Amino acid sequence: MSDRGVAVVLDGVRRCYGDHEVLAGVDLAVRPGELVAIVGQSGQGKSVLLRQIVGLERPDAGRIVVGGLPLERYLALAADDKPFRIAMVFQGAALLASLTVADNVALRLREHGQMAPAEIADRVRRALDQVELSGAEQKLPGDLSGGMRKRAAIARALAIDPELILYDEPTADLDPLLTEQIGELIARIRSGRGSTQVIVTHNLALARSIADRVAVLDGGRIVECLPAAELAASHHPLTREFLRAAGLGGSP
Amino acid sequence: MTAEAGTLRPGVTARTGAVILSILQRTGEGVQLLVVACGQVRFGATDRERLVAQLARIGSDTLPIAATLSLFVGMVLVVQSADQLRNVSQTVLGPIVGIAMTKEMGPVMMGFLLAGRVGSSIAAELGSMAVYDEISALRTMDIDPVRFLVTPRVIASAVALPILVLYADFIGILGGAAVVAIDPAIHLSVSEYFARMFEWVKLSDLFVGMVKGAVFGVVAAVVPCTFGLRTRGGAEGIAASTTAAVVWSFVWILVLDFLIVRLSFALP
Repeated sequence: MSDRGVAVVLDGVRRCYGDHEVLAGVDLAVRPGELVAIVGQSGQGKSVLLRQIVGLERPDAGRIVVGGLPLERYLALAADDKPFRIAMVFQGAALLASLTVADNVALRLREHGQMAPAEIADRVRRALDQVELSGAEQKLPGDLSGGMRKRAAIARALAIDPELILYDEPTADLDPLLTEQIGELIARIRSGRGSTQVIVTHNLALARSIADRVAVLDGGRIVECLPAAELAASHHPLTREFLRAAGLGGSP
Repeated sequence: MTAEAGTLRPGVTARTGAVILSILQRTGEGVQLLVVACGQVRFGATDRERLVAQLARIGSDTLPIAATLSLFVGMVLVVQSADQLRNVSQTVLGPIVGIAMTKEMGPVMMGFLLAGRVGSSIAAELGSMAVYDEISALRTMDIDPVRFLVTPRVIASAVALPILVLYADFIGILGGAAVVAIDPAIHLSVSEYFARMFEWVKLSDLFVGMVKGAVFGVVAAVVPCTFGLRTRGGAEGIAASTTAAVVWSFVWILVLDFLIVRLSFALP
């Protein structure tokens, strides 16, 4: 594994919507190059947490440090001055519907930096190769299946060569075969590029098979964070419940 | 009353206040968006590909329906006015159509057309992008959604609408001439229709119409962008944003029309 990843530190991150406290003080440290899966029930704030890390929303309290930089300082930097790049793969892929797959993947490269068109085309080709979407360059997102859209979104993330990739439910709405393919793809990115990756998922089997560590989010806090290999030995009631529901053991 | 405060229905005053606050908030958001978009104009103007795409969508794609509307409005103006003037003098038909089209009908009609046809699609498109995280995706890629989405639309709309206004004036006046030529109830020659029109319609009338066109063009893009970008809540939210964008574009076009007319008469 290369050492391209950056560390992510969440320290007492809180986020409220009106009276409802979604994140009630999240503490989590992700090491450079590590792949951490955050699991939890629906409505526990997993996606909200990712939106805080990528800077789409700001926490009401607490601190987020990425690559040694406080997030607010990182966000204030001009795109070309940022010392590392963060990419996010959204649950619904969030490809721009009016652009072709190739244009979606090339979008950030065209908008920023001084990269030559030929170099951009090469990056796009390589990113699409990695997600096995060669040949779909000129298709519009509306012409793609759910799995292809997810892979195109991952290609868009890979094209910018990010040090940190965040995935929001990358396998939601996908059949088991496609889920396995996406899982393998994420694992390949981990071993090939060494980018730090944080995945929010309901899919405990996927989390256990590809993540280094699994963090369990409940009641707005990380209640447990343990190596994926030790998941089955967890004594936390929610983790046991998840394991049981996923057919991976756990107490009834 | 013993009901708890939380169960009380808000009174008329409270509801009126809430509506006024909401209108002021939307207006403020629209003005803020316009200011930010204006600050990005140099990027929008150099982003030729997106600008040309928007000009085609806003300008050239609107030409057929603009021609149809203007033609019939010009024709109706002549028929209605001729009937009112049948016992007086129909020689003023040319000036009536010319002044009405250049100063009012052309800009307002094209403003409404753009707000309805293009504004609704802008609100729906941006609303959909907001709901389905495409705007968020742009932000995560360090792409400013205002520069990427709003500025090209505002520039294209502000450039295309004055041209559409001139086009509508021309077609409307020709429509009126066609009726003058073929309607047996009108006792006026086409040459006299145009001769009297040129006596009355001044270049400044055309200029005011084009200024109105540019202003309405900005409204027809900024209002839908404002509603589109703040869309929440799935398909229902997109539909609500689209409706609100069209309605408020119409309202602002009429309000600004009044202000421009009043200002133009106040000038020396």
